[in-house]
Amino acid sequence: MAYNPITALILFFVFSALLYVLFRPVKGWFWIFKKNVSSNEKIIIEDILKQLYHFENSGNKVDMKTLVQVLDFNNNRIVEAIKKMTINDLIYFESDVLKLTESGREYALRIVRVHRLWERYLADRTGFSKTEWHDRAELMEHQLSHDETEKLAAHLGNPKYDPHGDPIPTKTGKIAKVKGVELPLLSVNTVGRITHIEDEPEVIYKQILAENIHIGSLLRVIENNTTRIVFESEGEEFKLAPIVAANLTVAPIEKEVVLEDNIARLSGLKENETAKIIGISKESRGESRRRLLDLGFVKGADITIDLLNPLGEPHAYLIKGTSIALRKNQAAKILIKKN
Amino acid sequence: MDAKLKSTCETCAHFNADGLKKLGIRTDNFDFVVALAGNPNTGKSTVFNALTGLRQHTGNWPGKTVTRAEGGFEYNNQKYKLVDLPGTYSLLSTSEDEEAARDFILFGKPNVTVIVVDANRLERNLNLVLQILEITDKAVLCLNLMDEAKRNNISIDQRTLSRDLGIPVVAASARYNEGIPELIHTISEVVNGTIICKPHRIKNVPENIEVAVKKLTTEIEKEFPNIPNSRWIAFRLLEGDAQIIKALKQGELV
Amino acid sequence: MNHKNIDNIIELSNELRWQIGDDFHDNLTESIYADAADIVKDSVQIENSQRRFRLDARIDKIVTSKTFGFPIMFLILGIVLWLTIIGANYPSSLLADILLDTIHPSLKSGAASIQMPWWLSGFLIDGVYLAVAWVIAVMLPPMAIFFPMFTLLEDFGYLPRVAFNLDNLFKKSGAHGKQALTMSMGFGCNAAGVVATRIIDSPRERLIAIITNNFSLCNGRWPTQILIATIFIGALVPSAVSSLAALLAVIGIALLGMVFMFAVSWVLSKTVLKGEVSTFNLELPPYRPPRFWKTIYTSLIDRTLIVLWRAVVFAAPAGAVIWLISNIYIGNESIAAWAIHSFDGFGFILGLNGVILLAYIVAIPANEIVIPTILMLTVLVTGISAGSGAGVMFELDSVNATADILKAGGWTLLTAINLMLFSLLHNPCSTTIYTIYKETKSIKWTVFASVMPVVLGFIVTFLVAQFWRLLA
Repeated sequence: MAYNPITALILFFVFSALLYVLFRPVKGWFWIFKKNVSSNEKIIIEDILKQLYHFENSGNKVDMKTLVQVLDFNNNRIVEAIKKMTINDLIYFESDVLKLTESGREYALRIVRVHRLWERYLADRTGFSKTEWHDRAELMEHQLSHDETEKLAAHLGNPKYDPHGDPIPTKTGKIAKVKGVELPLLSVNTVGRITHIEDEPEVIYKQILAENIHIGSLLRVIENNTTRIVFESEGEEFKLAPIVAANLTVAPIEKEVVLEDNIARLSGLKENETAKIIGISKESRGESRRRLLDLGFVKGADITIDLLNPLGEPHAYLIKGTSIALRKNQAAKILIKKN
Repeated sequence: MDAKLKSTCETCAHFNADGLKKLGIRTDNFDFVVALAGNPNTGKSTVFNALTGLRQHTGNWPGKTVTRAEGGFEYNNQKYKLVDLPGTYSLLSTSEDEEAARDFILFGKPNVTVIVVDANRLERNLNLVLQILEITDKAVLCLNLMDEAKRNNISIDQRTLSRDLGIPVVAASARYNEGIPELIHTISEVVNGTIICKPHRIKNVPENIEVAVKKLTTEIEKEFPNIPNSRWIAFRLLEGDAQIIKALKQGELV
Repeated sequence: MNHKNIDNIIELSNELRWQIGDDFHDNLTESIYADAADIVKDSVQIENSQRRFRLDARIDKIVTSKTFGFPIMFLILGIVLWLTIIGANYPSSLLADILLDTIHPSLKSGAASIQMPWWLSGFLIDGVYLAVAWVIAVMLPPMAIFFPMFTLLEDFGYLPRVAFNLDNLFKKSGAHGKQALTMSMGFGCNAAGVVATRIIDSPRERLIAIITNNFSLCNGRWPTQILIATIFIGALVPSAVSSLAALLAVIGIALLGMVFMFAVSWVLSKTVLKGEVSTFNLELPPYRPPRFWKTIYTSLIDRTLIVLWRAVVFAAPAGAVIWLISNIYIGNESIAAWAIHSFDGFGFILGLNGVILLAYIVAIPANEIVIPTILMLTVLVTGISAGSGAGVMFELDSVNATADILKAGGWTLLTAINLMLFSLLHNPCSTTIYTIYKETKSIKWTVFASVMPVVLGFIVTFLVAQFWRLLA
């Protein structure tokens, strides 16, 4: 073929488009193909067990129809897997309802353990964004062997909770309960602590993330009706639709606690104000959290703004005699009490 | 070296600095190993250069010395090897610098660790000092940048500080070579056993942690009766430090 | 040693850790700081403890102010670059006079007088010596000016303020404010820029800074840009403004490099590097008056000479290769000519030519010798009479004579523009590649950092060439 700039350009763009279709993140054909090849029977069985476990935990009953709906596999393969699982004594039928046997439950807990441990690992030791944790853990839960799981747990210091606040089942299959109720169930003026943030469905999770709501923070309900739920937390006010708020679990605090007025996030500190640090939010994790502590952002330290930035952020804060610059999203995770 | 005058003034640091020979990078056949630790930006490398006569570059910029520098000096016929550790804020995290610094203090077994601190920001710097004192009990505190502190109207009661920390404290302005002879003299007194350190151990630990640490320390001391830093190892085990667990299993900590 | 007991200790520690919960690290750090506060209360007396020291605060207010912050920054960067480029001219031409025009001929005649075989003197003197001499002449003066100035600013404490001012820009592309400094350092030398990334203590941002440092147009590439811009861009406009046009073209290329740096940083942070740990903290240390002579001395030793030495080590074999490929014949064609002819097709598609591609392959060790190599190879394949023989790199004092050679080699405005683009967007020199490997200790990232820019260069020059031909 003779050279001609137009053909050269067309060839180039066709080639680039092909590469894009094949390898674009997540939806690239190559990745889809790879996932399908590797989703063997083991994965289907484990996913069924996990779904049953979650349904049973929330007190729901599952028949074949619902199961097929929630799982993203070919129907025949699901039926095939169910057959095998009944033979292997992992599940049994009570009339139409599918139930976990004792060993099925143990197996399911093991999968949940790996999933939550891996989310914790991603949160503490890597830089992946929160929205990716769940999907990555979904893949990893089928891959880690028993020994690898225990090694991972030890490496992470045998954590009790995953980053969303879900308890991690122990090696022996014990699992703690999440304290608290869904936020919309709380009446006005209740004070409570956010103990869990549900990460599914992703659309709602992304809304919660965009609001900068932090796990472990104290809140007070200001308004609660069918259209919206308003609450204050860490010196800021949040408004959520009930469907979004339902994904927050809050443990009400029984004693008469008054939410103090002058509690705020460091990001809310103004020039010439002075404050004392109360602590670092649970949302700051891993290496970032340790750095902040090492740099002296500890309970009781005095803090002021040292320098404002010509581009808006980061601000430099004067802490223990040294000027240290932090970005806004970091400062939002440090709680202060203004003087 | 001039030996004839020595008897007149053995303890006088200024005089004895005449017995100092900067050895630059010639560090073979040394008698003692001295580790140099400190926060970034405390003039640690200036102290290093003042002691060894080397000219290692130091920027006004945290975290500059990433590679470990070594140098030597000779004092009163004893040869010292000086190892400049990376400047860090702490030894508790897991960055490369901190691991390098911690590993040297722990496994390199220096005869003495000189901790350089910025006299203007003592409280912040003590974070690292107190951690080091949990690991080793032979240490000297070098209160550097005293000239700046004076300008900033900061006065430090060295006696009290030394008593509280349980290690000798030397005030210095390494840029102007002030306090360096005293520092060398103090180093020699520590390595030769003239000064015995009784380092401060972390006190304000919450009750439940202190109990856990005590239990663990007792067990560790049962297994390794002569271990100097059992409490620190207990801290690390509670943190789940994989490297320390490995070192413990291989018996590298004794 | 009793392993069982040790296992028991570790088992006990796991159990205790479970009991005391996840806050151990927080609690321990708080305890240490509480102790520190107690000790300080005992022994330190400060007047007004939270006030930062006055002069520092005053300087900081000015250098980070909305009005003056950025002008001061650009002024300082401008002065540093101007002093480097202008100041390096004279020592560079002096060194070239000595090393290239005086010592080289006398070495040749010396070799002839002891009847050294032509291939040995060619290999050693025209190949190895010439490449090394060239690298020193071009590289040493600008580095000896740039690095000390940079180091003085660093010692004074100004550079962290630059990082502070610019951080928001870099944050938007997923990078760290300190990358502003490693990038500026890259204008001096990419290898030094890569070493300087040590100041970034967050793993992801450090890798970004290392991989994108090559987009800073380094000292070795400035002369190429200036020469080509003078010949081809300057010729487009009336001679009164031609040097201004050339200057603007070069600045444009440098700015384009910064655009690529930001864009590639952003893509990297969203794709291949998204899993790396990312933290941020930036301490603004107190200002300290730098000690002038000591700084000059140490920066010469630490930065300039080390980098120069690495460059020389890599340039020597490159000189040998250049001489060999021009003098070893397969059939009746030298390897160089053969390679040039086989690259010509691909080169044409990119709007370049075989000579340029071959020059960039053999000059991987040092960008400084690209132009001399191009001239030598052009003469070799066109057969015009210039230079001093096959494999002997040369440069001409007269810009016009250089232009004549290049035009005889078939160069057009498109070739010139694409050469300038390709000089910005190609693999790092081997000194830098080696440094990247030493800093990352990862073959994966080293290969990636080396291949990615050259692929980008192919794509950009390809697109420019096609659209140029369509529209012209």
